[in-house]
Amino acid sequence: MSSGKIIQIIGTVVDVEFPSDELPNLFDALEVENSGETLVLEVQQHIGNNWVRCLALGTTDGLARGTEVANTGAKVTVPVGEATLGRLFDVTGTPLDGLGPVEAETSSPIHRDPPAFEDQNTSVEVLETGIKVFDLITPFPKGGKVGAYGGAGVGKTVVIQELIRNIGAEHQGVSVFAGVGERSREGNDLWHEMQESGVLDSTVLVFGQMNETPGVRARIGLTGLTMAEYFRDERNQDVLLFVDNIYRYILAGMEVSALLGRMPSAVGYQPTLGTEMGALQERITSTKNGSITSFQAIYVPADDYTDPGIVTTFGHLDAVVSLERSLAAQALFPAVDPLASFARILEPNVVGEEHYNTARGVQQVLQRYKDLQDIIAILGIEELSDEDKQVVFRARKIQRFLTQPFFVGEQFTGVPGKYVPVKETVRGFAEILEGKHDDLPEQAFYMVGTIDEAVEKAKQMNG
Amino acid sequence: MPSVRDIKRRIRSIENTGQVTNAMALIAASKMARAQNAVQSSRPYEEKITSVVTSLSAQVSGGENSHPLLEEREVTKIGLVVIGPDRGLCGGLISNLNRNVASFINGVEHEIIPIAVGRKSRDVLSRCGLNPENSFSDLGDRIEKSDTEPISKLLMEQYESREIDTMYVAYSKFVSTTTQEPVVEKIIPLQVDESHSGGTSDYIYEPSTEMVLGGLIPRYVDMKVFHAVQEAIASELSARMVAMRNATDNAKSLGDDLTVVMNKLRQDSITNELLDLVGGQAALEQ
Repeated sequence: MSSGKIIQIIGTVVDVEFPSDELPNLFDALEVENSGETLVLEVQQHIGNNWVRCLALGTTDGLARGTEVANTGAKVTVPVGEATLGRLFDVTGTPLDGLGPVEAETSSPIHRDPPAFEDQNTSVEVLETGIKVFDLITPFPKGGKVGAYGGAGVGKTVVIQELIRNIGAEHQGVSVFAGVGERSREGNDLWHEMQESGVLDSTVLVFGQMNETPGVRARIGLTGLTMAEYFRDERNQDVLLFVDNIYRYILAGMEVSALLGRMPSAVGYQPTLGTEMGALQERITSTKNGSITSFQAIYVPADDYTDPGIVTTFGHLDAVVSLERSLAAQALFPAVDPLASFARILEPNVVGEEHYNTARGVQQVLQRYKDLQDIIAILGIEELSDEDKQVVFRARKIQRFLTQPFFVGEQFTGVPGKYVPVKETVRGFAEILEGKHDDLPEQAFYMVGTIDEAVEKAKQMNG
Repeated sequence: MPSVRDIKRRIRSIENTGQVTNAMALIAASKMARAQNAVQSSRPYEEKITSVVTSLSAQVSGGENSHPLLEEREVTKIGLVVIGPDRGLCGGLISNLNRNVASFINGVEHEIIPIAVGRKSRDVLSRCGLNPENSFSDLGDRIEKSDTEPISKLLMEQYESREIDTMYVAYSKFVSTTTQEPVVEKIIPLQVDESHSGGTSDYIYEPSTEMVLGGLIPRYVDMKVFHAVQEAIASELSARMVAMRNATDNAKSLGDDLTVVMNKLRQDSITNELLDLVGGQAALEQ
């Protein structure tokens, strides 16, 4: 293959000159030796003068101008297939777990086209999570995309991990976890936990965490997705894809955008924000052959949901779970705001009349409580009418009943986790709305599973 | 994250509430002085007539031609007058009264024939599971004796026709501007104790003790009810003034807090726009 020479290195962006008739294609991988290791560069632009501008998928420290660069003539390809199960990879598909090379029969480029219109699947089916607030307010569609939004430290990662535990463990098929720009420690923890629980054998892990360069973090999502796509397209399986955290993908794009010579857009984001997001999200979809159900954690900078990086993700999702700091501050975990969260499939003809009415009823009561909060702050709760007082008390009970002990939180809280079937969830909230449990103390509803456990707890509290 | 406009709207609504509560506090304050005067100046008369009637009845106790209101009988039905305000927005006054009345009602086993004075006391009674057949409201905050006479007359009629066997009145006693004490008082039968039995026996009544007592008893009931209403009004206005003053303070501090949040947001958006401008400019210059 052709080879070129490094002209310029600006941080993670490298310009390479090639002979004029041997210019590599866009997204082609180039390889260069750097301090004994192979660094992969991905072609981003042709900038004239026979130069190509590349993004380094690794550190450029120690790289020198004039170094020889080899064109591989292909896009970055990663191993896919059964051989990848139970393994842990980096962005270029190199195993990180020290278990030797991966003997995959096939490999696949990380840049691909999304499935065509006519191949997409339109059937709707509800996926049970066992977590009350999700099943009630934001029922997850099988083969759909779910985003968990939240600021720093409100519990996104815990929610994703609980979903891995509840769905991934029960799930018969394959799971793929992509760690994008999050803590390396969390990746390590997850790997060990999966080994212990025995689900690792049906799971593929890919990591490009905070310690990696922006090039890695901007591509690691695609690596994980490519591995998931194989099981969907070639093996016709239902795949679960967990991504923590999609915002880091945007952020990585932003870090390299200016270096690639693009003018910053609103709030300093890359001008290609929507395109980049679409390139990733449009591929996460279900086809007639198989499905990819994805759960994505999305960091919300400064708790600002109007941030352009956040707004671009909203439209891609089927269900949005919004984690609220004020709830986390009251120790109401999971800190899901039932008023800001929504799901496309929360409709009577999908989830059933009773579920729909209960979910809307819960939202109404909570909305009324929110509206009354200024009045309570000014005049005191005494001045409310009897109906409003009842609404307030029920709303506080509902808020507490929306909490739930998590399996992954057991080591921190000492409370064993609870899995609540959808039917039980709907029954519990319907009973609170009916006023069946008006006489129980608020605290009885806190961190319990089913409504029967709340009744039991109330009995214990009364001695 | 709420927008600047959302917060502005909330601040405006809170300020409006604050203005209303402030106005209510001022109105209550001006009315309160008069009501407090009235209740304090009628207290000596109320105390005197109570002690006179009590000591007289101790001497008469159950003669042939004694007044029907003095007739003692086994209690099966209790007449309870609950006096409360017509309107809310007076802090814990109503719920305190409510609690007191509820504990009284739960404490007796007899049937209760309630009379509600003031719209809120109607609610209080219905919350206790009673539906008052008779209720009075809109007495105003400047009452004359004639305003409460229908109430006392109704009570006496009920007593005489044996619809009730005893009379109680529940109201908020005015202690000071900041303190009101909910009480349930027995009017009939009279409670004779040691302090009332002695001392007055020196007087000679013309034409007879029974006649004097017979004339005094209806006045005593009138006065008791009238005074209770006066106490209730003074309590209501004091409680309202304090509650509304607190509400005004709360509204002000809430508004101040929100203003800080709004200013920060506004500055944030200005900073962001400036950054965009400067960034864009710098990029163009390169």
